[in-house]
Amino acid sequence: MGEDKRINLEVELSGIRLRNPLLVCSGTYGNGREYAEWVDLEMLGGLMTKSVTLEPCAGNPPPRLWETPCGMLNSIGLENAGLESFLAGELPWLSALPLPIWVNVAGFSQREYVVVASEISRSGMADAIELNISCPNVKKGGIHFSSDPREAADLVEKVRKVVEIPLYVKLTPRCGDIVEMARAVAAAGADGISLINTFPAMAVDVETARPRLANNTGGLSGPAIHPIAVLLVWEVARALDLPVIGMGGIWSWRDAVELMMVGADAVAVGTLNFSDPAAPLGIIGGMLDFLKRKGIDSAAALVDMAHREGG
Amino acid sequence: MPGRYKAEVVARRRFGTLVELALETGSAIDAEPGQFIHVRCDKEGLILRRPYSLSGMAGSVVNIMVREVGAGSAWLCASEIGQELDIMGPLGRGFSIDGGSRHGLVAGGTGIAPMRFLADRLRRLGLEETLYWGVEGEAEYGGLALELAKECDLLFATMDGSAGEKGNVVDMLLDAGVEGLDGIYACGPRGMLTALAESLNDETLAAMQVCMEERMACGVGACRGCVVPASPPRRGYLTVCRDGPVFRGRELDWERIRG
Ligand SMILES: Cc1cc2nc3c(=O)[nH]c(=O)nc-3n(C[C@H](O)[C@H](O)[C@H](O)COP(=O)(O)OP(=O)(O)OC[C@H]3O[C@@H](n4cnc5c(N)ncnc54)[C@H](O)[C@@H]3O)c2cc1C
Ligand SMILES: Cc1cc2nc3c(=O)[nH]c(=O)nc-3n(C[C@H](O)[C@H](O)[C@H](O)COP(=O)(O)O)c2cc1C
Ligand code: FES
Repeated sequence: MGEDKRINLEVELSGIRLRNPLLVCSGTYGNGREYAEWVDLEMLGGLMTKSVTLEPCAGNPPPRLWETPCGMLNSIGLENAGLESFLAGELPWLSALPLPIWVNVAGFSQREYVVVASEISRSGMADAIELNISCPNVKKGGIHFSSDPREAADLVEKVRKVVEIPLYVKLTPRCGDIVEMARAVAAAGADGISLINTFPAMAVDVETARPRLANNTGGLSGPAIHPIAVLLVWEVARALDLPVIGMGGIWSWRDAVELMMVGADAVAVGTLNFSDPAAPLGIIGGMLDFLKRKGIDSAAALVDMAHREGG
Repeated sequence: MPGRYKAEVVARRRFGTLVELALETGSAIDAEPGQFIHVRCDKEGLILRRPYSLSGMAGSVVNIMVREVGAGSAWLCASEIGQELDIMGPLGRGFSIDGGSRHGLVAGGTGIAPMRFLADRLRRLGLEETLYWGVEGEAEYGGLALELAKECDLLFATMDGSAGEKGNVVDMLLDAGVEGLDGIYACGPRGMLTALAESLNDETLAAMQVCMEERMACGVGACRGCVVPASPPRRGYLTVCRDGPVFRGRELDWERIRG
């Protein structure tokens, strides 16, 4: 164990110090409490909350889940108790933990995003905001805020003005040119980028000809999307000088190291938590062994390694 | 307190399409009928756990009854004595046993699993219960009906008339009369549960508790994936894994459940 001390797992993102680079993804760890009796939350590098919206949101009708080979579809539909309840109950509990908290913010109009983000920032209880821009803009007939870089940049610019903590923008992998999108939100004032959200997908029961999800479509997550995450993190990290949190199908310490090597400054475990709530801690252990074996003295040294090696 | 266990398969019995597994968890378990365990299936390509109702327990051993319907259950059904399973549980809210002495239990098909545990619990409490169990045909569940008949007051119905009474188990219960029952407990296919709920009046619906199923990911209330519609004025949704799987008849919106 004496040896471990020489390996530094700490990473720093936008001035926030994480004791290790392993976070948990929005929507896959509730607001922490659900897993408090299963895992020592303080061992995580950080936690990204379930999306918070201005009003309570009932979410989509069930069924909301469908398992696919090496993946799953979900159509939860942002179910949450709304900003007021989050500020009164969830966030005070979370912020009492010695753990950096990214509060994930979603909305159905620019105004909703702005109000929620500014209240979260003002509360002083969050370390950073993660803006989930993969939501339909109801005022514009439901086109997604992430549908084109101008739309996304416009939103980020408005949110930026009211937020005093680091602002991360979470991008969807279903995007014509991810680099153009990342550049647009960076220019609009984003401090960091989260990559990737689920990939829009669908499954149908051929016996009944009915879609598997009541919402018809959902988001694909899990190992099936991991190589897509690797590519998009690679492209964005190469083009931009902003911190990136990498996520998408992390299933082992190898997948976590891989995302860091293509440019993620930290990584987040999502769907894997459902079958193994302690998986992020196991991955930290695996990463530590790897660093030891390779004679690398810090987790931060992994970042961008593939860019240096692969050119 | 729920926990995560490496549980060893210590007994395995087949009843037609069902396989009953006894799992040694290594520590004393405190569980209620209606609660479930979330089981990892170590089969290539499967990423989610599978929820199974407890069908019984004794000390540190819990029982489940698995029906083979897909890849995960097939893997579980094939598990052998001595094999270790990664389980989380016991999870969720179980049945609460209401006061009074007369209890009616209704199970459809595989819904028998939690009902067997409940019948056992009621019997230990010295309460009077009748278990109504309906299946498609006798052969489907091997000799399970015979075994249950030794354990409790069983009224057995088959749709094809191959054994017991021919017909539908909900009709069998309703014919016997639900008015004098202090508790009505049900588990089975959605169609059976909605048919039952819709044939009860306000008072008997209040006495009904149902054990629901829905697709699950986390099993602990974190993902909001496993919801069922809540009745007015609450509206919105309740999670099967944490708010349930057992609900009072009046907590759920049966109209939206029927769809
Ligand atoms: C609280 C609860 C208790 C249950 N108790 C029992 C029991 O005692 N005995 C028993 O045989 N079965 C029980 N089930 C159903 C059992 O979980 C499914 O049959 C099993 O998950 C099927 O997995 P599979 O891989 O074989 O099937 P697949 O159809 O290949 O599974 C695909 C996905 O759908 C899910 N799924 C499929 N059918 C169901 C279902 N009916 N309910 C919920 N999720 C489903 C699976 O978990 C998996 O994620 C219970 C379900 C719940 C929610
Ligand atoms: C059940 C479920 C719920 C999710 N909810 C949210 C959410 O509320 N907000 C959000 O930004 N992302 C949400 N996500 C996306 C994840 O945060 C993550 O970006 C994605 O699942 C990819 O990582 P993974 O493959 O490791 O799960 C959700 C994912 C799942 C599976
Ligand atoms: S399975 Fe995740 S909330 Fe029920």
